[in-house]
Amino acid sequence: MYADYAYLIVALPVLAFLLCLFLGWHLPRGGGFITVLATFGAFIVSLGIFSETYPHDIVHQSMSWFADFNVGILIDPLALVMLLMVSFVVTLIHIYGNGYMNGDPGAARYFAEAALFSASMLGLVYADNLLQLFIFWELVGLCSYLLIGFWYRKPSAAAAAKKAFLTTRVGDVLFLAGIILLYNNLASLNIVLKPGEYLLQFPVIYANLASIPGDQLTLIALGLLGGAVGKSGQFPLHVWLPDAMEGPTTVSAMIHAATMVTAGVYLVARMFPLFYAAPHGLTAVAAVGAFTALFAATMGLTAFDIKRVLAFSTVSQLGFMMAGLGVGAAVGAAAVGVSMFHLIGHSFFKALLFLCAGSVIHAVNTNDLREMGGVGKYMKWTMYTMLIGSLSLAGFPLFTGFFSKDEIIVIAYEYGTMINFLPYIFLVLAAILTAIYTFRMWFSVFTGKERSNYGKHESPWVMLGPLVILAVFAFGFGLAAQEDFYNYLDSNFEHYDVDFAHLAAIGGHEIESGHGAEAVEGEQAAAAEGENAEGAGEGKEAEGEPWYIQILPIIVAIGGILTAALFYWDKVKKFDPSQVTGDKDPLRRMLLKGYYQHEILTGWFAETLVYGTALICNMIDIKLVDGWLNWLSAWVMGFAGHVRKVQTGIVQNYVMALVLGVVVLVVVITLATEVGLV
Amino acid sequence: MIPLELYILLASAMFTIGLYGLVTQKNGVKLMMCIELLLNSANINLVAFSAYQPNVNGQVFALFSIALAAAEAGVGFAILIALYRLYGTIDLDNINAMRW
Repeated sequence: MYADYAYLIVALPVLAFLLCLFLGWHLPRGGGFITVLATFGAFIVSLGIFSETYPHDIVHQSMSWFADFNVGILIDPLALVMLLMVSFVVTLIHIYGNGYMNGDPGAARYFAEAALFSASMLGLVYADNLLQLFIFWELVGLCSYLLIGFWYRKPSAAAAAKKAFLTTRVGDVLFLAGIILLYNNLASLNIVLKPGEYLLQFPVIYANLASIPGDQLTLIALGLLGGAVGKSGQFPLHVWLPDAMEGPTTVSAMIHAATMVTAGVYLVARMFPLFYAAPHGLTAVAAVGAFTALFAATMGLTAFDIKRVLAFSTVSQLGFMMAGLGVGAAVGAAAVGVSMFHLIGHSFFKALLFLCAGSVIHAVNTNDLREMGGVGKYMKWTMYTMLIGSLSLAGFPLFTGFFSKDEIIVIAYEYGTMINFLPYIFLVLAAILTAIYTFRMWFSVFTGKERSNYGKHESPWVMLGPLVILAVFAFGFGLAAQEDFYNYLDSNFEHYDVDFAHLAAIGGHEIESGHGAEAVEGEQAAAAEGENAEGAGEGKEAEGEPWYIQILPIIVAIGGILTAALFYWDKVKKFDPSQVTGDKDPLRRMLLKGYYQHEILTGWFAETLVYGTALICNMIDIKLVDGWLNWLSAWVMGFAGHVRKVQTGIVQNYVMALVLGVVVLVVVITLATEVGLV
Repeated sequence: MIPLELYILLASAMFTIGLYGLVTQKNGVKLMMCIELLLNSANINLVAFSAYQPNVNGQVFALFSIALAAAEAGVGFAILIALYRLYGTIDLDNINAMRW
């Protein structure tokens, strides 16, 4: 029954967008409650669909749009967990936003844009074809531009919005190129489509992947990866994400932690069979992800803005998710479950952390860690919820982040034993740094002495309520749901006509022996039961690793937290950070400067190279292109200046010309008649 | 009966006088009068031909032509009055605001 109302998941927030946009000015608090109700309605519908379809059904509705294209809704396990997570987290953030944005003159605009953002993200998630996904993808990008630049009178916010928009645009162009390439390849296959099937629908793509040539698949995969890299803030298109913290903190939580940036990971997960089949497709994903995870974590170590610390941590964790998908070359479709689990868990604790940071900023009126200290005395609730979020992010045992990150590291290890240990090493290093920078932040904010005179009050309950709910999920989600989640998501691609063994052969992957045996068993079982059980034995794989690999993540997490405590917790402080690394330390300076990215990208690349080239092009444009055109038009003007004197404006001249013309005509015609021409 | 040639000669004379006036005169009212001469020379031709070739079509056309001429004169004089109010003259040589 709920499935019939699946369209409401997008329609309700769109309605809220329109209401807030046009009527929000007249409503209390900018009509924020409308947005909350709309996203909550979307959550209810998603929950209803979940209860109807779990664990074996999917919802697929589709109608023709134009030519080969359609609009449709596809709710399979992958989409459904995203729908639930997005609508749930976004609802909580909107509730919080009602407190946070209270009194802002632009509150109505904020809630309208936030509602539109929710609608586009939800639409992106359950689009049933790549084109529709792309449209919502662009809408998400637009909303992010609007929301980052929400305080557009602040020059830095306007610049950050522009930066985010332009940077993600680079990825989007690649994404579009990938879609076009995929469409061309599919169109050239002359597939016979059944009624209700359209070329770019995911089931059709999955079913026909094996017929596309391998080199084309790699190109398509790289194009789609480009889009994902842009949206998910992966290296080298990550530069926009830390700057995007210029928006209100709720925006940071909603867009740049919990939902929008996960769209890139979601895209790779959604197109996982394609990446799997493409030779080197997953290698590229793993390389980008693992590198970004470590790269961003190192920058998180030195940031002083609490939101920037969290932003770098988001980039780093997205790197984990990407790497989790990338190392799927070793374990097949099970990687999607592992990566999505981290995605969902991450969105809980990262939304929590951002909202806590917002709560702190709301009270103390500064973003700078150096000006805080001792806030815990005044904000107990914020302190403890943020502690839960931090423990989860750091991967402390039994917290959500522990289960999800641990699993990614374990499959990275498997990937290492089969192909290459680099992603594993990068991820473990990143995990240590994650624990350190997270607790550097937490200790700096909540413990120690007050380092400046700031506002001392706890936030209102409309803000604390969502924190508590999110804290519950940040702690308990991993413990409660891990096994079921993996089983549920592993069944995702069984709904489609995808033969992973065949795709692996195209992509040149070896399926791990144990896993392959299970797959064979699975296929036998499928023959008997009529369903494919590939990857169902995922849970057992972790037990095949040496014991030190298994407990390494625990050591890493606790070691990282202790290290941070020794440096930053006044009660057990042993070292002073400034003694270990002075201002002269080149490494520290490099990290503080963010690997000189600004110097390289803006200073050297943009201002020297691009600007210089632009100057030369400008000269050529002015002198050559415009030059000859200007010369031509000047000549025409001069000539016309002479010619137009013929038009004297004196009636008599015209009459004379008329008479003379008639005379000439008469003479000519007479002569012609005489001669016999006419 | 007066020969047709005389009518044509009269019409030609009127036409030529009108044309001459149109080319040489600068005064707006004179120009209007010259135009009337041109039109009426044509009317004479129409009526004359109509009378000599028993057929009333020409006379009907002449009536139309007179009505048109009246309308044209009305518009023309209205413009001249407006010009006079604006410039204080109807010497067309002085009315050259839109000239190069």
